[in-house]
Amino acid sequence: MTDFVNTAQGAAEVGAFVQHGDHVDTIESVDAVFREQRKLSFAYGAVFFLVTLAIPLLTVSVPAWYTTPVWGGFTLNYLFVSLLYYVFLWVLAWTYIRKADKLDERLLHLAEEQTRNGAGVTSGG
Amino acid sequence: MGNLNVIAIVMVIGLTIFTVGLAIFTRRFTRTTADFYLAGRKVGTLANASAISGDYLSAASFLGVAAAVYASGLDGVWYAAGFAGGFIVVVLFIASALRRFGEYTVADFAYGRFGSDRIRLVTVLMVLLVSLFYMAPQMYGAGTTWTVLVGEGFFGMSPYNTGVVIVSAIIMFYVAMGGMKGTTLNQIFQFWWLFLAMFLVVIFAFAKGFSYPQALADVTAENHTEVKAMTVAQLTAPGPNGKAPIDTARETMTPEGLAAVEAAVAAGDPEATVPVLMPAVNKLHELRDMFFNEPGHRYNSFDQFSMVLALVLGTAGLPHILNRYYTNPSGAAARRSTFWVLVFIGTFYILAPIAGLAGRLILDDTFRSGAGTGNAAFVDGLLLKSDAVMPTLAQVLGGQWLLGIVAAGAFAAMFSTTGGLLIAAASAIGHDVYEKYIDKGATEIKKVVVGKGAVMLFAFVALGIGLGIPAVGLDKAYPALIAMMVTWAFAVGAGAFVPLLLTGIWWKGTTERGAIAGMIVGGGGSIFFIFMNILNQLGRLPSEGFLAFMGSLTFPTLFTFPAALLTIIVVSKMDGQLPKNVDEIWMRIHGTAHERHERQLGLDKVSTMFQKGGE
Repeated sequence: MTDFVNTAQGAAEVGAFVQHGDHVDTIESVDAVFREQRKLSFAYGAVFFLVTLAIPLLTVSVPAWYTTPVWGGFTLNYLFVSLLYYVFLWVLAWTYIRKADKLDERLLHLAEEQTRNGAGVTSGG
Repeated sequence: MGNLNVIAIVMVIGLTIFTVGLAIFTRRFTRTTADFYLAGRKVGTLANASAISGDYLSAASFLGVAAAVYASGLDGVWYAAGFAGGFIVVVLFIASALRRFGEYTVADFAYGRFGSDRIRLVTVLMVLLVSLFYMAPQMYGAGTTWTVLVGEGFFGMSPYNTGVVIVSAIIMFYVAMGGMKGTTLNQIFQFWWLFLAMFLVVIFAFAKGFSYPQALADVTAENHTEVKAMTVAQLTAPGPNGKAPIDTARETMTPEGLAAVEAAVAAGDPEATVPVLMPAVNKLHELRDMFFNEPGHRYNSFDQFSMVLALVLGTAGLPHILNRYYTNPSGAAARRSTFWVLVFIGTFYILAPIAGLAGRLILDDTFRSGAGTGNAAFVDGLLLKSDAVMPTLAQVLGGQWLLGIVAAGAFAAMFSTTGGLLIAAASAIGHDVYEKYIDKGATEIKKVVVGKGAVMLFAFVALGIGLGIPAVGLDKAYPALIAMMVTWAFAVGAGAFVPLLLTGIWWKGTTERGAIAGMIVGGGGSIFFIFMNILNQLGRLPSEGFLAFMGSLTFPTLFTFPAALLTIIVVSKMDGQLPKNVDEIWMRIHGTAHERHERQLGLDKVSTMFQKGGE
């Protein structure tokens, strides 16, 4: 299992790659999936920060949010921070993980395809 | 004082012996540095999730969240939500990339990503600073729990100091003994013990007829009150409306509670300090009274945002949590671990505020009915130190047995978190500095010995800090001090590491100079604001003007995080000196060839944590 890393100067122009056994990552395949991954992570991040920062925003500015009882002594504010926020976190994390795993699978296929098409990669044995 | 809880003490000793025993048991599996620092990278998803949870749930989570809710109501509940929310940032932006990069420490990441010794040393310094900030509240928790549990000091020391000394000695021993494998096993055990303890306290409360929504309504029915330590001179000085604080106290306190205050005033010493019960002021909606289920007891508008940001960003900047990601077998496993962490700690954080609320209701009833409340000090039905609410409530609800479970849980929380921190600090000194700069050709045995020496050294520093907290009066300056101090550590981590990690992982154009400048602005800036706030609280700053404003920011993250991010971007753009092998680095962070290769050969299996000799 020889690990082979192409680090030669100028190689990046024709396609740098990393090889572990039969498995290859080229900079093109990694870059393509990286862009997808970035889109995914930042979209989920935006939802997370919007919801998380909406809570103090409502807390500062909307009296109905923090004064109106909805269940016993629970206001919407107390209910969300002490219970519902966790459900939000769990759903967010779970759906993200499923999508990120699928992206990993795509990288696998993408990289193998590029290897088959002979993107300047020799067998590293 | 001096109410000795024999059964509870025996239980704590039992837990300690078990902890040390586990460390000794795992000692024979610690041969290499990968073993000592990373448990051989062979920890399974659920085991790793339990260990991360045990590592993460510190005295702040176990004692501090319930205490913050007890003292501050809804503003305290935010600690729980923020502590949990932080793991979303970790799973979305950091977990898998950090694991794939495959180094030992966050300093290694900085070095590997940017390729300079300078950035590694700056990162090491920041790791040490964050670790110290985080160790301080653990030590304070040790002293507080000892006071409630034992109520006595040994060798002429106060009960608090005795707790600090004994806990640091035990931690020093067991971390140096077991390394990361021992610490990992202990953290797994300790997490589930903590969970059980929190669960039992809540179940015992429900068994006593406690109803969550009803209790919240009952506690909210009256204006929120807080304990304040005031001198006789302050108590009797008339305010702008001619009313002295003692007149307000007369309206708030019961005749029995007030008797001690009146006696102190009658004694005549103007510098004598008396704890009094006062109505809390609403800092957020200044025209409203303060109620338990409303925001504003602790945080004004700025702090409502800044505290949330400090907590959710800070989790991703805790070195002992970041190190944990390297113990996963793959990037996907790192993500899965994080999901289970969210489930485990989320459930825990739903329970902790219930305990805090139960404390507010049940302890007050118990005190007023004249029943004993153990070693904790009260002022008119309210704990003098809210950080004692968990053990005190446990004792009231379930006697010495439940107190024993909770006190053992509190020590477990301190052991596991401080253990993780010591490993992180030891890796920073032993791995990042010693192995890389001082003795490059060191043998494995020598490296492990240095790592253990670093553990001892840091445990001594933590001990000093623990003893210093009451000495400078910090415990009187803040309510629910444990949670407060932990949030400082989060703020420093959020400023120092999170901008570095986010840009290092997601923006190819980040340069070494940009990253260093960002770390200094974010980490250094946070530390500066925190010290200004401490000086402000201790009354060492003028009450108005620029310095007073600088000292008024409880959590600086709303300023320091964007400032650090902006610094990295601007300096990197101006600098433009990308590492020569940036494409290779990029493939290391985001590529999966290595993982696919390991999966094909079955090297990602995790059943070999206790194979002798490591990887």
